Amino acid sequence: MREILRHPTGLAGALMLSLVLTAALVGSLIAPYDPQLFHPIARLQGPSTTHWLGTDQFGRDILSRILNGAWATVSFGVTATVLGVAAGAAVGMTAGLIGGAVDNVIMRIVDGVLAVPDLLFTLLIVTVLGGGTGHAMLAVAVAFTPGMARIARSAVLSVRTREYVQAAVARGESTGYVLVREVLPNAMGPLIVEATIRVSFAIMLGATLGFLGLGAQPPSTEWGLMIAEARQFMFRNPWAVIAPGAAIAVAAMGFNLFGDALRDVMDPRGRRR
Amino acid sequence: MLLVLLIVSFTVFAITQILPGNAAVMILGEYATPDQIAVLEQELGLTRPWHVQYFDWLGRILTGDWGMSMRLSTPVASVIGEAFWRSAALAAAALVTVTLIAIPLGVIAALKRGTVTDLGISTLAYLGTAVPEFVTATVLLVFLAAPERGWFPAGGFVPPAQDLLASLHHMVLPAATLALILTAHISRQVRSEMSEVLASDHVRAARLKGLPEGAVIRRHALPNAMAPAVAVISLDVGYLLGGIIVVEEVFAWPGLGRTMIYALQNRDLPVIQAVTLVLATVYAISNLISDMVIAALDPRVRYA
Amino acid sequence: MSGAASPVLDIRDYSLGYATGAGPFQALKQVSLAIARGRTLGLVGESGSGKTSLAWAIMRYLPANAVEGSGNLLLSGEDLRAKTPAEILNMRGRRIGMVFQDPATSLNPTMMMGQQIVEVLIRHRKLAPRAAAEVAESLLARTGIARPRDMMLRYPHQASGGEKQRVVIATAFACNPEIILFDEPTTALDVITARQIQDLFMELQEETGVAALYISHDLALVSRIAHDLAVIHHGEIVEQGAARAIFSAPRSAYARMLIASVPSPQVRLVSTAPPADAPVTLALDKATIRYGERSLLDRLLGRSQQEVVGARDVTFAVREGEILGVVGESGSGKSTIARAIAGLNPFAGSISLAGRTVNARDDIDRAYRRQVQIIFQNPDGSLNPRQRVGDIIARPLKLYGLARPGEIGERVGDLLEQVRLPRDFAARYPHQLSGGEKQRVAIARAFAAEPRVVLCDEITSSLDVSVQASVARLLVDLQARTGATCLFITHDINLVRQLAHRIVVMRRGELVDLFPVEECDAAERHPYTRSLLDAVPVAAGS
Repeated sequence: MREILRHPTGLAGALMLSLVLTAALVGSLIAPYDPQLFHPIARLQGPSTTHWLGTDQFGRDILSRILNGAWATVSFGVTATVLGVAAGAAVGMTAGLIGGAVDNVIMRIVDGVLAVPDLLFTLLIVTVLGGGTGHAMLAVAVAFTPGMARIARSAVLSVRTREYVQAAVARGESTGYVLVREVLPNAMGPLIVEATIRVSFAIMLGATLGFLGLGAQPPSTEWGLMIAEARQFMFRNPWAVIAPGAAIAVAAMGFNLFGDALRDVMDPRGRRR
Repeated sequence: MLLVLLIVSFTVFAITQILPGNAAVMILGEYATPDQIAVLEQELGLTRPWHVQYFDWLGRILTGDWGMSMRLSTPVASVIGEAFWRSAALAAAALVTVTLIAIPLGVIAALKRGTVTDLGISTLAYLGTAVPEFVTATVLLVFLAAPERGWFPAGGFVPPAQDLLASLHHMVLPAATLALILTAHISRQVRSEMSEVLASDHVRAARLKGLPEGAVIRRHALPNAMAPAVAVISLDVGYLLGGIIVVEEVFAWPGLGRTMIYALQNRDLPVIQAVTLVLATVYAISNLISDMVIAALDPRVRYA
Repeated sequence: MSGAASPVLDIRDYSLGYATGAGPFQALKQVSLAIARGRTLGLVGESGSGKTSLAWAIMRYLPANAVEGSGNLLLSGEDLRAKTPAEILNMRGRRIGMVFQDPATSLNPTMMMGQQIVEVLIRHRKLAPRAAAEVAESLLARTGIARPRDMMLRYPHQASGGEKQRVVIATAFACNPEIILFDEPTTALDVITARQIQDLFMELQEETGVAALYISHDLALVSRIAHDLAVIHHGEIVEQGAARAIFSAPRSAYARMLIASVPSPQVRLVSTAPPADAPVTLALDKATIRYGERSLLDRLLGRSQQEVVGARDVTFAVREGEILGVVGESGSGKSTIARAIAGLNPFAGSISLAGRTVNARDDIDRAYRRQVQIIFQNPDGSLNPRQRVGDIIARPLKLYGLARPGEIGERVGDLLEQVRLPRDFAARYPHQLSGGEKQRVAIARAFAAEPRVVLCDEITSSLDVSVQASVARLLVDLQARTGATCLFITHDINLVRQLAHRIVVMRRGELVDLFPVEECDAAERHPYTRSLLDAVPVAAGS
């Protein structure tokens, strides 16, 4: 962890992450106003001393809404990614370990599904299942599965050829032992790095779905939804649109930078000594 | 490639027609009466076993019969036809801009690695990858299309035949949105590939032969960075195809993306299926083209 | 060799350091050496000795964090440190040439090889393109390329390692430089090709009188080609002088240790072979191993798949307590055989262990696997980085039930002592160990199973020279103590002559020769064996 903080990108990422995660965990508690409360007198105002980020068309305090929506946005990203990684890892590792025809067939299907762009795939699934946060999460998880399967498979393949794994096979260890003690602990690395970076994509996808009305639904304060609601009045008070947009950017960048630094730290360590 | 398209077609079909359990319910919505559902099922042939449905559908697609749009009661092909070219215009504008700007930016960042120039370019690129398209689009609208300033229209489309200048004027913001995001992605990747090549043994050997730096970059570094860069750029085409949906929606640009949103909101099954297939095919073709470009650039691939 | 009055390259008291994140690091400490016209100076040192840094310093190709101390670098009397960047660019390739270790990575993969020579000629000798092409072609012919015109139009991946290195040498000689720097130029090549490349250079040196700095870790190799020698250790030149003199009478302790570490066939580590009536422990009968089996899907789609034969119809038998050396170049199949015996590759034919025969990989059971242990080449890859040394060595004990749970700690400590490592290494992780120490752990792990057969797959090849000798001796020691049968696979022929009882020679998957070590020079040896033995450098003066 210290290594990551020494890295400039890691430091920046960690800072952003702590900001975002704090907001997600305690945002609702520290928000100055109730996010749903209307302040009819103070509608569509820019930043002021009473409302640090201004208000939207209903007079709701934007800062409070952003703090409140942090949990929705971030938890969406993390949950969707975790589900996608779990599913993808299961598929990819199976393919990588069994090899042969099974591997071939699985990877062809994965390639086929990957030919559909992420967003499109997600939209299709959401249409079929219906909107709402839960379904959107599932849709993103499913859209991530083939990509993660590919990465899991290549991680497994590269570890499988290492000599310590071969030594274990030559010793006559059971498949279970080889898998759990030799392969898995060493293949997790690339997966974790990719997962961290993917959270940023999941956050962006979730926000996009929220924006299109297919993800989080009102009265949620999810950031994409906030932008959609403020669209009509964006020329009157651009802050209603810019603030949540910046929040999304910070959250996504935080995970992205952190993941990149993680990757840099994990790589040279293997080569050192 | 054909195998991939086949799998895509099946995936699309499975998701839209089989998985919902009952596609008719999905199309008509929750409030449909059992009679309405039964009629629709008959009409669409949904009571047949799934593999029969699939092959029938596939056969019709391949022979050019793409069915009728349920909402608009016009043939799907004509609905898509116009929209396709409008989206293509947008995508083309974005891609051209990107190629002219992103690749040189990435190369410059790599050459000046570690300097302020590099930091600036890299930071902007990073920012670009962390901002979803709809945010970029909205921000551009706020700053450049505000009614008081009126530099650009806030959306909409004017056919070029009617007024070329206005048409282009309307295209600027949506194309710029796409271009910004793609430039961010691509310049990052080009920078990374170029940096790797600049640190490679053969570039070092070229420098130690006493060749001037310009020649080293032109003849030894760039050619070796381009092939992997193209490979990685072709992945971005997929991203472009997704992003175009959102951008068209925000700017009310009547292309494939907008058609898709409309179809999704209205559960217009044939249109959904057709647009997805078209986009996937475009992606597959672009991958094929990029493979050919890579072969042209890298003799190891040509003469394996 | 006639020496010019003033040396071509004259380095005086030169020091170089790097400013690293972990503090300043001294790479070179007051190095002094001189090379006269037509002479070759071999710079010998192990990894991390600073020898490559010297080459970069001469070329003025130092990284931004390099800090040069006092001292001079003189090329034909001119101070290199005083040169402007433009002068340095003119100097590289024209007055100083360089030949790198791996021709595969030092040639531009997307440019035709002919063009890569031509551009140097145009740049420095100001030739017109057509004239340059003709000169390039004649250069290629001079370096022994069979069809120079064809080679001009080829890309690097279409040429063999030896051919590529000839192209690189042609490029280095193209502008008649005053001196050429060689950085481990034959390490990436097989023994026979390496010899040819060295011979080629010596010829060209005779013709042109070029001076040469030959950097290498391989003493034996250097002894063939160098007139003078400089031994470098931790950035300091510990000994310098005529090569012959140093080899026959090294003065510094380090040089003595280095020379002693070079395997010399005369020095036998192992004495007599086991009696002729000792039982046969391991036998192979027509073992054949193929790679690239076609998957079901490929067969369904009728796609042709590359089928590579790793080894074909290999037959031999090894007696109890014997050490069988297996030699050959890369791709000869020697590792393939070891892996098949260890039960890692499927095979056709049969393998017998102490009388029991198996005909397919699936027949191999745990009892067999316990009796046959394998040690790999790469010390970094053979130990699971997430397991402690103690657990790694304990694993065979637990798996095969060779020790009661309470005794395992003791046994692991005993095994560590046997491989001459401290007992408390059991608590360490692999990344805290050096390459040689890791290899000892791998050896301990193999012997922990109390096997009948130990397969050593190039176990010393990735280690520094000084460490190689101690690991080899350790192995021989353990083998003698436990009476295990050993298959020692290596490409180092001198080493195998030191420690094997009999030798098997493999070439392109086939066993071409099998003989007792004393009969190495006998007349009935296979011609390939002959050429291998002739190509191997033996340290001069030993």
